[in-house]
Amino acid sequence: MKLARRFLPALLGVAALAAIPLVVKNSFFLHVCILVLMWTVLGAAWNVLGGFAGQVSFGHAALFAVGAYTTIILYLKGGLAPWWGIPLGGLAAAVVSLPIGFLCFRLRGPYFSLSTLAVAEIVKLVALNWESVTAGSVGYLITSLPPLSILGASVNWEGKVPFYVAAAILTVIALAATGWLRSSRIGAYLVAIRENEDAAEAVGIDTVRTKALTFALSAFLAGMGGGFYAFYFRYVDPDAVAGIGLSMEMVFIAVVGGLGTVGGPLVGAVFLTAVAELVRERFQAGHLIFYGLFMMLVIRYMPEGIWGRVRKIIDGKKGGS
Amino acid sequence: METFAQSLVSGVLTGALYAMIGIGLTVVFGVMKIINLAHGEMVMLGMFGAFWGQALWHLDPFVSLVVWTPLMFVVGMLTYRFLLRKIIPGGELNTLLYTAGLSLLIANVALFVWKGDYRTISLSYGMTPVRPFGIAIAVPLAIAFGLAIAITVALWLFLSRTNLGRAIRATSQNPEAATLMGVDVERVAVVTFGLGTALAGAAGVLLAPSLYLYPTVGELLLVKCFVIVVLGGLGSVPGAIAGGILLGVVESLGAVYVSATYKDGIGFVLFLAVLLYRPSGLFGVGK
Repeated sequence: MKLARRFLPALLGVAALAAIPLVVKNSFFLHVCILVLMWTVLGAAWNVLGGFAGQVSFGHAALFAVGAYTTIILYLKGGLAPWWGIPLGGLAAAVVSLPIGFLCFRLRGPYFSLSTLAVAEIVKLVALNWESVTAGSVGYLITSLPPLSILGASVNWEGKVPFYVAAAILTVIALAATGWLRSSRIGAYLVAIRENEDAAEAVGIDTVRTKALTFALSAFLAGMGGGFYAFYFRYVDPDAVAGIGLSMEMVFIAVVGGLGTVGGPLVGAVFLTAVAELVRERFQAGHLIFYGLFMMLVIRYMPEGIWGRVRKIIDGKKGGS
Repeated sequence: METFAQSLVSGVLTGALYAMIGIGLTVVFGVMKIINLAHGEMVMLGMFGAFWGQALWHLDPFVSLVVWTPLMFVVGMLTYRFLLRKIIPGGELNTLLYTAGLSLLIANVALFVWKGDYRTISLSYGMTPVRPFGIAIAVPLAIAFGLAIAITVALWLFLSRTNLGRAIRATSQNPEAATLMGVDVERVAVVTFGLGTALAGAAGVLLAPSLYLYPTVGELLLVKCFVIVVLGGLGSVPGAIAGGILLGVVESLGAVYVSATYKDGIGFVLFLAVLLYRPSGLFGVGK
């Protein structure tokens, strides 16, 4: 019974995800759903580190960029299909996160945040200037995707459905990983570190190792998100995948949705995509105005985020704590 | 040798302006223990103030300093009073995220209103550089340097000689003790935030004739500003001055002797190195 209650929302969620492409035939709406799922993965990636462990990173675009470049370079230069390239992109980002973590985790609080900002700027400069590998500011373009057939039917890359399926799988992985993390021992360690790092260390938690592991998981998810971006948009250049704006969007999703919650990034991603799509037609870059404004409003009036507030209300009605 | 002297001099000149931006951030951090991520946008507003002053009213950018500095002081006080004051008790991460939102908001409203075009301010006296000892110095940069020194000295006198200045330094060292000595910490916080914002705005006005103006320039300046205050130790004014000049010189020499494309990267590497090995700053004054 307890088990059923715990997994019921997850099962319902997976069923809803599977139903969408069967019900929705409008390709624009499907495109919006794909964006929501991609942002969910990225918000969840950031939330693992920023929400659970309280380590605010302003440089997650660097990990996204590593994933995006790995996937697209493996495909264009090595002929490796993106569905292998995306997990490898995640792996590459996780590997890159180790030295970054080794450096930046010596610092705490705002100092950590500042150091991640510097790392992201360095990664962007490298992407711009290391032309033999990254093609510099010109970037890479995928003109055609490799043929693939599933159960005898060949996949049509002009449609949205295959991309939707890929994004849905990544979302399930990301949310399952955060759900697992929350209930695991490491999750408890992370909360301890977030609340009081010295006390956590004093009770015998290896804080540096725990934070490094969490960062690697966060980077893996962000890198897969980057790989998916390259696969779906078929174009990668430094401004698109390594800008500070992208890092801020990941922060925005997790903060608005709910720091340290499993469902928060999905709510945040829906919100972010809705704002972006509503405003994009009217004026260029206008959505960023609203991101800034909503972030301020949420921190001021609802620091637990939309999903965090909803959870509070539900739990309150049950008569719990 | 001549190239070396040339880039050393231009590095010092630019560095003094960087230092001014850094001082603004560092005094705010000293008193309130917050890092204001919207600081770069305050510099950007100063730059655009200088631009529009010249474009609309034919006001010389350096003369317009007397308009924009007090105005930015008021903007800073209002920002603190109506936006930040309620957030700060929520913890440093909330403040960090809140000012990140503020930064995004200001930069993109500016982008919406003024568009993303690169603008420049051209001055009649800015065309021919002066050449003392055979080193070419752009006139606007030299004037800006002189004014930056004057403002910094005035600030130093204010902080060391006046009662309010002493109250700011006392709060920076120990807020509890300052409160016990009768310092109105809330008033100190409002004034300090105004001061930090005014310094950022003034630095923007001074930098405007020497840089390209565009609404998102604050991002780059903010990152430079972090490098400066971390080099000098967060919270330390002399550290910010030294850090600013050091960054100016390193960038300028790096652009000539290492690589022009990686010029900004040199600053970041220096930044990471200092954060890792001397987190209290190169001079060990911050904490």
